Amino acid sequence: MDRSIQKNGLVNLALVLVIFLAGFAVTVFAGSLAGQAAAVFLGLAVLVTFVSWFQMRLEENERLEKLELDELARSRGSSLFEARDSGSFPARNAREQFEKYFVPGFAILLLALEAGGAWLLWHWSGKNPAPLKAANATVAVSLFAIFALLLFLFGRFSVTIARLENHRLLRPGASFLLAGAYVCAFAALGIAGAETKYPNADFWVARGLCVLLGLLAVENLLTLLLEIYRPRVKGKVVRPLYESRVAGILAQPESLFTAAAQTLDYQFGFKVSETWFFQACKKNLLALLLVQFAVLLLSTTVVFVDAGEQAVLEHYGKLARIFGPGVHFKLPWPADKIYRFRTEQIQSFAVGYTPDAESEAAKVLLWTVPHAKEQNFLVGNRPQVTVADADTNDTASTTPMGLITVSIPVQFQITNVTDWFYKNSTPEDLLQSLATREVVCYLAGSDLNDILSHGRLEAAAVLRDRIQTAADKRRLGVKIVFVGLQDIHPPTASDVAATYENVVGAEQTRLATILGAQSDAIRTNLLAGSAAFTLTNIADANRVRLVTSKFAEAALFTNQIPAFAAAPSVYRERLYLQNFAAATLNARKYVLLATNTQDVLIFDLEDKVRADLMNLPITNSP
Amino acid sequence: MKKKAITPLIAAVLLVIFVLLLFTFQVPQSQVVVVSTFLKPTDTITNAGLYVKWPWPVQSLTRFDQRVQISEDKFSETYLADHSILLANLFVGWRISDGRQFMNVFKNGSTASAQQQLEQILRSAKLAVFAHYGLSDFVNSDATQLKFNEVEKDIQASVDKELAQNNYGIRIEFLGIKQIGLPDSVTKTVFGRMKAERTILINTAQYGGEADAAKIRAAAERQAADVLANAQADATRIEGEGQAEAAKTLAVFQQNPDLAVFQLELAALKSSMNKNTTLFFDETKPPFDIFRKLPASPETK
Repeated sequence: MDRSIQKNGLVNLALVLVIFLAGFAVTVFAGSLAGQAAAVFLGLAVLVTFVSWFQMRLEENERLEKLELDELARSRGSSLFEARDSGSFPARNAREQFEKYFVPGFAILLLALEAGGAWLLWHWSGKNPAPLKAANATVAVSLFAIFALLLFLFGRFSVTIARLENHRLLRPGASFLLAGAYVCAFAALGIAGAETKYPNADFWVARGLCVLLGLLAVENLLTLLLEIYRPRVKGKVVRPLYESRVAGILAQPESLFTAAAQTLDYQFGFKVSETWFFQACKKNLLALLLVQFAVLLLSTTVVFVDAGEQAVLEHYGKLARIFGPGVHFKLPWPADKIYRFRTEQIQSFAVGYTPDAESEAAKVLLWTVPHAKEQNFLVGNRPQVTVADADTNDTASTTPMGLITVSIPVQFQITNVTDWFYKNSTPEDLLQSLATREVVCYLAGSDLNDILSHGRLEAAAVLRDRIQTAADKRRLGVKIVFVGLQDIHPPTASDVAATYENVVGAEQTRLATILGAQSDAIRTNLLAGSAAFTLTNIADANRVRLVTSKFAEAALFTNQIPAFAAAPSVYRERLYLQNFAAATLNARKYVLLATNTQDVLIFDLEDKVRADLMNLPITNSP
Repeated sequence: MKKKAITPLIAAVLLVIFVLLLFTFQVPQSQVVVVSTFLKPTDTITNAGLYVKWPWPVQSLTRFDQRVQISEDKFSETYLADHSILLANLFVGWRISDGRQFMNVFKNGSTASAQQQLEQILRSAKLAVFAHYGLSDFVNSDATQLKFNEVEKDIQASVDKELAQNNYGIRIEFLGIKQIGLPDSVTKTVFGRMKAERTILINTAQYGGEADAAKIRAAAERQAADVLANAQADATRIEGEGQAEAAKTLAVFQQNPDLAVFQLELAALKSSMNKNTTLFFDETKPPFDIFRKLPASPETK
């Protein structure tokens, strides 16, 4: 019988391997997202089936080894084998080492593959929403249906064998096979749905299988963590770590209670499943579910409408009434249905920018730094400077336009929920489109410099009126509460905004230059005034000095005349000598007394060379 | 006994629910439902309420949203009458006017297919209509010159005509230009022009300031020169007056011109001497002629 179990494991392995390869080929052939997810699941099934089969072989070897040793012991006497050290049982040692090291390692690898597969598939399917090749879809559906049938037949057989004969090592692979059957069936349904009425069915089935993979990963992680704290009871058969209870439940939904009971028993180390509470739950499951269903249905008869909300009540699809805030009662779903709307609360959207948290938190907003993902709008632009054409000397005839970045928050309230709900399928999108249209239209007919300066306030009021009119025309049932032109500036790109700032800087520089010149002028004028004052005063002083000295000299001369008259030669000589001595006091004097010699006297009358000129360094000049 | 009574009750409740689900259906106020009998559309229900039908596969339902739906075309380039290029995208409000026809035209009544088809019609109409307008009809600092409304009306007329010709089972409620823009290459040139205009203003301010400053300085220099020249003139005049006044003393010197001239020479001699002056005298010049007058030494004799 054991041999047949091992063969059963090998057959399972071969089957799942073939179906995995075929499934992968079909997936590529049809371009199915669901098929890819199913292929990943089948790949995991191959690994689990292989490891469980290998572990079966090890256990089988151990069993044969034990039989051989027992046989030898019987034939040669027990004394030879009493000292049974570890080296005497290589097959048992191999199995123990396998369970101790390989199985946990494989469980971790499985966890990584499941989590990685789920993550990669989720992102990949999001980026490639509809790669399904319609021409090959029918073939893919047929093949996946055949895979599902084959896996179901073999899986069901193996699960039954494992349960009846309690083969714990056959169970993991069998569960994966049976779960793989359902996965293949879902993949077939997804592809078929995409080909018929539901174009996104393949995508959503793929997403569902991603969730399943994620669930398997979480379960695997929990199993690994709980394994650390599981009480080790001697003689208790160890459950393979790579066995998935989720896959088991998926394969056999009816065994939910059994699986739960087994899990609890295994984890707590005693028979939780035999307690009265567990038994009572199991016996009255149907009644419990019915009660829960009834409670769920009853709960749909009570409606709580929050403050600031209104709710539309539809009775068998017809608009019955509008509920305000408070508690209300209605018939249970699906007879009466409720749709809630925030009517009093102010809602808002943005035109021209996509807000982001980082820019919202910024304390300082600069034109030169992007505040969010901004959009440029075309705007009229009366030229500030007349551009003359080089040839004709006419002003250029191209349409003057500029670009501007605006951030316009639009706030609104729903005033009529029936209009809001029943007139348009996506009223918020429509309102946003209408608001954007009015902003585009208004800016295209405005002047850039007006908008940047004095036209801003007027623009906000005009835009609010225009958006309100457009919303009323489309019967949106809203009141435009506020339209703000809170952030209008030239585009940040290409340093356009920076040049606008530079104009302001240049204007300040101009004023500074003029002020500097005025300062210099004041200085020049003041210095000129003082110099003029000095000049005239020096002249005045000179005049006084001259007149005074001349009059003094005249007075002296008047007094000298009598002396000169009294002794003309002596007085003259005296005057000469007195003045000669005074005049030549500092002069160098040479008196040549010898008259009868022919001596030649050479005097160096040149100026002395300055000492520092003699010490000039000599450099090598080219 | 009690348990035996509950089980049929549950079964009966579930059966009733199941039968109701099979034989009835609701039409919400926002939807239109096309009922197909053996896959052939047989009825269109537009009024909300509860209705009865045969279970699948005899009768099947196809539901459509009968409210106005919003679609947009791509933000694409259009060629204008004045050879300009403008990027534009439109939004359109449309609704399913004939559910049965809509289901026939579009596979399984797919709204996505309808939107795709509508987008193609819109783009075609947009290109045709935009080609009749110039850039100044879309961007103009004189708002009265804009022709957004005319363009939208023309496009809607074109789209309506196309829809009427082929009966898609949909109707256009409204249409609008959502966004206009310029291709990247043109945007860069507009940026360049905006910057050039600003640069002119910057230069005007900068060099205007320097020019004004130069004028102010020149005026100040001229004013200072004026002041100094006047001061210089005043100084000359004052000194002249001093000399004129001093000249009154010349009559005194005229009393003895010989002495006066001698004194002037002495004064000139005094003022022309300084420490760098080197004088050579022989013994004939007084006071050094004193050396000649000394008695001769015995050796000399």
